[in-house]
Amino acid sequence: MAKITESIRNEVREVVYGFFAEECEVDISRINDKTSIIKDLDGDSLMFLELIEIFKKKYDLDIELKVIGKYAVKHPVATIGQLIEMQLLIIEHENKLLELDK
Amino acid sequence: MSPATSVFLFPAFINSYSENPGLTLPGFSELFDRYIQQAADSVEPKLAFFDFHSSNFLEDELLTQYITFLYSCAASTILRNNSVHPRFTTGYSMGIYAAFFDGGSVSLETGLMLIRSAYQSLISSLDNEIYGMGAIIGLSRSDILNIIDSRCLNVEITNQNASHSFVISGLRNNIETLLFYAHNEGALHTRCFNVSIPYHHSLLGKGAKQFEESISHLEILPSHNPVISLIDQKQCNTAWELRQEVVRNLFNPLNWLKTNEWLIKNGTTEIIECGPSKNLAKNAKFLPGNYRFYTLDKISSQIKSNPCG
Repeated sequence: MAKITESIRNEVREVVYGFFAEECEVDISRINDKTSIIKDLDGDSLMFLELIEIFKKKYDLDIELKVIGKYAVKHPVATIGQLIEMQLLIIEHENKLLELDK
Repeated sequence: MSPATSVFLFPAFINSYSENPGLTLPGFSELFDRYIQQAADSVEPKLAFFDFHSSNFLEDELLTQYITFLYSCAASTILRNNSVHPRFTTGYSMGIYAAFFDGGSVSLETGLMLIRSAYQSLISSLDNEIYGMGAIIGLSRSDILNIIDSRCLNVEITNQNASHSFVISGLRNNIETLLFYAHNEGALHTRCFNVSIPYHHSLLGKGAKQFEESISHLEILPSHNPVISLIDQKQCNTAWELRQEVVRNLFNPLNWLKTNEWLIKNGTTEIIECGPSKNLAKNAKFLPGNYRFYTLDKISSQIKSNPCG
């Protein structure tokens, strides 16, 4: 279980912003935490999947995709800010993510 | 420009023309319009009324295949005219017909007739049940097979796009059941496709046999370059190999992930998606390797910056 420091939080935000700017071909200055991933950026589930893979490699995470999927059913992500918060929870709790709901 | 290690990849269906990357290719619109007119004259007069917005036939399974084929053929013709020559080509599902046209194996009219014959043979071979296809992203193959087995569903995995991205075919209500349970199991995304034929499902063997007989009079020539099978990644060159491949393509499961891996392992450095969307490029991002994936708008900027070829 990783402790989320201010440095990790900033790093995750930077990766997420950069990722969507490149994938969706938009200027990074147009992205903020309230930006809707689907409505504003035309994002999709494959992008979400790719982002998860990036963080799995970056932080050497032990987490199954279906654990994230089950968590996302109860905690749907619509905005960039919500996505960043979920990524931080994934980094912090890995395969124990679902225990947060108990 | 003539990259020795490029691959043309041809998509099957389109569900939106919002991206329309072919329009950036020099001369594309004129050639596409000409092909549309040829198709209207030879297989379906309705095609003459096609436009990308109000009359795009996206709800019609057969007409959409024709349009995707014509779009792909126009795009690859322009690329070749600009000295972009692939080492291999491959057709994603029903994209195989465009790969045949691109390799000089069939004429535009014969390609259209192959599409029509396949559709009619498969439709007539099905019983009165309602069939369909769908996609599951986020589960493993074994997760999906476990649901299929435990619920006794008439559904097969008919393509693997990436490690956790699958296409399924079978009875429509069984597909809906599978998608429901897949979602509960933790799939990140599930959806049904707007098709009535369970393409690549084993039950289409009978229809494929009818198709084989119905196209026996059509001319299929050897290909200028190998067409790579999505079934077993075999290289198809000869007329006989291509004829076999177009038949078995209808009722055998595909593996787009393995095909991509094969292409990269065999020296491919550039994969060019020759079609009206960018969907296949998205799947390729998960593969490791030293290669680039181009959609038509990206490759057209290279053509323009290097107009002499």
